[in-house]
Amino acid sequence: MNKEEQEKYLEEYAEAKKKGVPFFPDVVFKDAVIALVVFIVVVALATFAKASLEEIADPSDSSYTPRPEWYFLFLFQLLKYFPGDLEVVGVFIIPMIALTFLVILPWTDKSTRRHWSGRPVVTSITVFLLAGALFLTWQAFTAPAPPAAAGAPGDETAALYAANCAGCHGSMVAVKPGHDLFAIIEGGTHDGMPAWNSDLSAAEIDALVGFILSPDGHELYVANCAECHELQSLTEADAIELRRALDEGLAYPPHADLGIPEWDQALSASAQAQLLNFLTAPDGQRLWTQECASCHGQSVSYGGDRGQLEDIIRFGGGHLEMPAFEEALDPEDVTRLAMYVTDPPSAPEGAALFGRYCATCHATRVPPADDFEAARAAIALGGAHEDMPVWGEILTDDQIDALVDYVLTAAQLPDLGAAQRLYLQNCSSCHGDQGEGGPNPARTGDIIAPISTAEYLSTRDDATLRAIISQGQPNFGMSPFGDTFGGPLTSEQIDLLVAFMRAWEANPPVELPPEVPGAPSSSEDAATLFANLCSQCHGASGEGGIGTKFGPAWQASKTDQEIFNDINLGHEATAMIAWGEILTSQQIDDLVTFIRALRGEPTDSGPLTYVGVVKPIFDAYCNACHGTSGGWTGTSFREALTSGDNGPTIIPGDPDNSRLVQSLIGTHPDGLVMPPSVKMSPADIQQIIDWVAAGAPER
Amino acid sequence: MASRLGNWLDERTGWRGDWTAVFLRKIPKVNWAYTLGSATLFALILQFVTGILLTLYYVPDPEQAYASVDYITNELPLGWLIRGLHHWGASAMVLLVILHMVRVIIYGAYKYPREVTWLTGVVLMLVTFAFGFTGYLLPWDQRAFWATVVGTEIGAVVPLIGDWLKELMLGGPEISGLTLTRFFGAHVWVLPSVILLLVGIHIFLVIRHGISAPPKRNN
Repeated sequence: MNKEEQEKYLEEYAEAKKKGVPFFPDVVFKDAVIALVVFIVVVALATFAKASLEEIADPSDSSYTPRPEWYFLFLFQLLKYFPGDLEVVGVFIIPMIALTFLVILPWTDKSTRRHWSGRPVVTSITVFLLAGALFLTWQAFTAPAPPAAAGAPGDETAALYAANCAGCHGSMVAVKPGHDLFAIIEGGTHDGMPAWNSDLSAAEIDALVGFILSPDGHELYVANCAECHELQSLTEADAIELRRALDEGLAYPPHADLGIPEWDQALSASAQAQLLNFLTAPDGQRLWTQECASCHGQSVSYGGDRGQLEDIIRFGGGHLEMPAFEEALDPEDVTRLAMYVTDPPSAPEGAALFGRYCATCHATRVPPADDFEAARAAIALGGAHEDMPVWGEILTDDQIDALVDYVLTAAQLPDLGAAQRLYLQNCSSCHGDQGEGGPNPARTGDIIAPISTAEYLSTRDDATLRAIISQGQPNFGMSPFGDTFGGPLTSEQIDLLVAFMRAWEANPPVELPPEVPGAPSSSEDAATLFANLCSQCHGASGEGGIGTKFGPAWQASKTDQEIFNDINLGHEATAMIAWGEILTSQQIDDLVTFIRALRGEPTDSGPLTYVGVVKPIFDAYCNACHGTSGGWTGTSFREALTSGDNGPTIIPGDPDNSRLVQSLIGTHPDGLVMPPSVKMSPADIQQIIDWVAAGAPER
Repeated sequence: MASRLGNWLDERTGWRGDWTAVFLRKIPKVNWAYTLGSATLFALILQFVTGILLTLYYVPDPEQAYASVDYITNELPLGWLIRGLHHWGASAMVLLVILHMVRVIIYGAYKYPREVTWLTGVVLMLVTFAFGFTGYLLPWDQRAFWATVVGTEIGAVVPLIGDWLKELMLGGPEISGLTLTRFFGAHVWVLPSVILLLVGIHIFLVIRHGISAPPKRNN
């Protein structure tokens, strides 16, 4: 509109005013009439549709379905079309576009035309916005209550979600892949989400995870399964069994005689995947616990790359054959073992045997055996009785991805560096490298319980752990470690140790106490006693550490009697306890003699040879499986160097390229880490590496 | 007598001139759609009157807010009516604001020389929505509480300032007594001040430019 047009408008307006009416009383009268109408309508509404008051606000009752005032309903409804990350479009972008349209309207529509028919663009945008808002409002009024609040039959997960999550997260949460949702729900987050583990059972959290990660699967469950199956019975079911039920249709025995659809026909492949994702949420840690830990143990180790790991899981199979134990054990032991694996309470003495011969491969799990005869045959004859399932045919892609993610992250736990070194120096000799415990060196016949179980860690707070480390537990033979109590550790170091232990909590490496070989007995010789008891602090060759170095200077300053007294009475308020309560005088005498021979030099422990050092390690960790089933074996020096399906496993002088070493430290490209379910101590691994580096001498 | 008093007053206030300028001015012939603005003003006045009456009994405290609204609704003589008028008056005002705005768009009344009037009108609409949003929490019942939870969650989605905005509205990470006093303060002090100022400017401009004439099709 230029100057001329503006003046023309003002002229015309003045003309119209002249022909018009006075504001009072004509227009005021009309206004008064309308005001009265408005007033009457409002009074009528106030009288006949009284403003209601609901129950008092209850912040804990999140099952309430919120409903805004009608004039915000269109916005509320709009949000439903923009779930998850798109929310910002519905909340911000579209309303901002509409508002911008209004604000700049006088400057975008500058023509002189004022009648609506002369301004088709503005008119149609207005009609569109109005119609849109009206439509959305109408939709919101007629649609059922927005977030899943009312629980349809079999819809308890939706009700659970509505009751616990919807209050803050709205009708659905978008979770980016790679999050451990179970852990988030269980433990809460730092930005305000509470920990739900006290309010919800693990099964309920499982169900919620499935619900959130696969809402479509939830609908499929409600539509197809809920009529017959309680949700919990399915979420706790074995993934293999669930897949079978879907794959086999009516051929699946429990479904055979029911008048139900054949699920393999009725549900598409993608629908089946969604359903399985709901029933067994793609949550790596949970999948590991449910499907893998029974054979692989709780601790996860893997050193290869992602693709190979995925192949291992997808294609399964390929396990070592079990040796025929009738060659190694007497028939009674085989019988005992068979009884133990068929029915553990019937043969408690089988536990020790199992720990010795089976746990290296089978971890804590008793391999399931249908009957005693079958079990006995399996143990006696060995063979490939336990293959890894072909998980690619059982799990969905999402589940496998989650599992792979979990294994990769869990295997590379944050390098706790200094904390781990402290632990290995001060704690692992009694508590094990993984906190699994073991024989108590301070009290003959006593077993130290694991300190890395979820149960142990969750029932002790940091202050308690700090106090235990700092003050020790003298009644149980643990000496004080805090420097204020005469121990070697500063309070910062103790804090580090507590943090190190806490790192176990998310993924406890130990579920049950391991089966331990016998505790030190009075018949053990001085060398064994020294290795088990003294070397933790004084070093394997008396080179010192936490404790004194038994070097020449020290040797010269002590009489035999003084050494005897030191061992017998200990030093008050140090880690050196009074061993006289534990060892006999004869044992202490022997120890004195043994210590006298030490020079405080680490090389004293004898040459690093196959016979002296390496074979015992192979026997303990490898030969149970590798001895009989072909492939590599470490039972004799010759075989250790020459056997193997893929050529020599050991390249003397080149540990980095020796397959043996690669498998032990997890750098072999096939990703397999040996041994499969127990952890070899770093010292043993180092000895093998040193041995290979030294040219792998036989003796 | 009346005219003598009128003259006496006129000498001291000049009201006759203002009366003539405001009420006796001529305006173009208009239809009933042009009453929507004054109807909105009437609804606003009704909200002021009933709102002031409600504050006499309402207590903006999470412990007592619900009880005071309960008292107003169920025990105070005619309290139900005052609260009902305020409740429905709010809906009426929102509806009238929207209709008024549609009328202005349809008749092209935002054009020269009334652009500023239009702008104040747009802001007035936003203020009206803000009134509705802040007032909704005050009864402190389930509907009030959870609608505000959802409303502030929606606010948190706004890019860049979302979290800050939510915290500003709530006075903390979640709804608390602070939220209630904040919403009360906004609803009873801040927004009324803003709306009075804007309505003053809006009406002043309407009188200054005169109400727009209904446009003719051929123009």
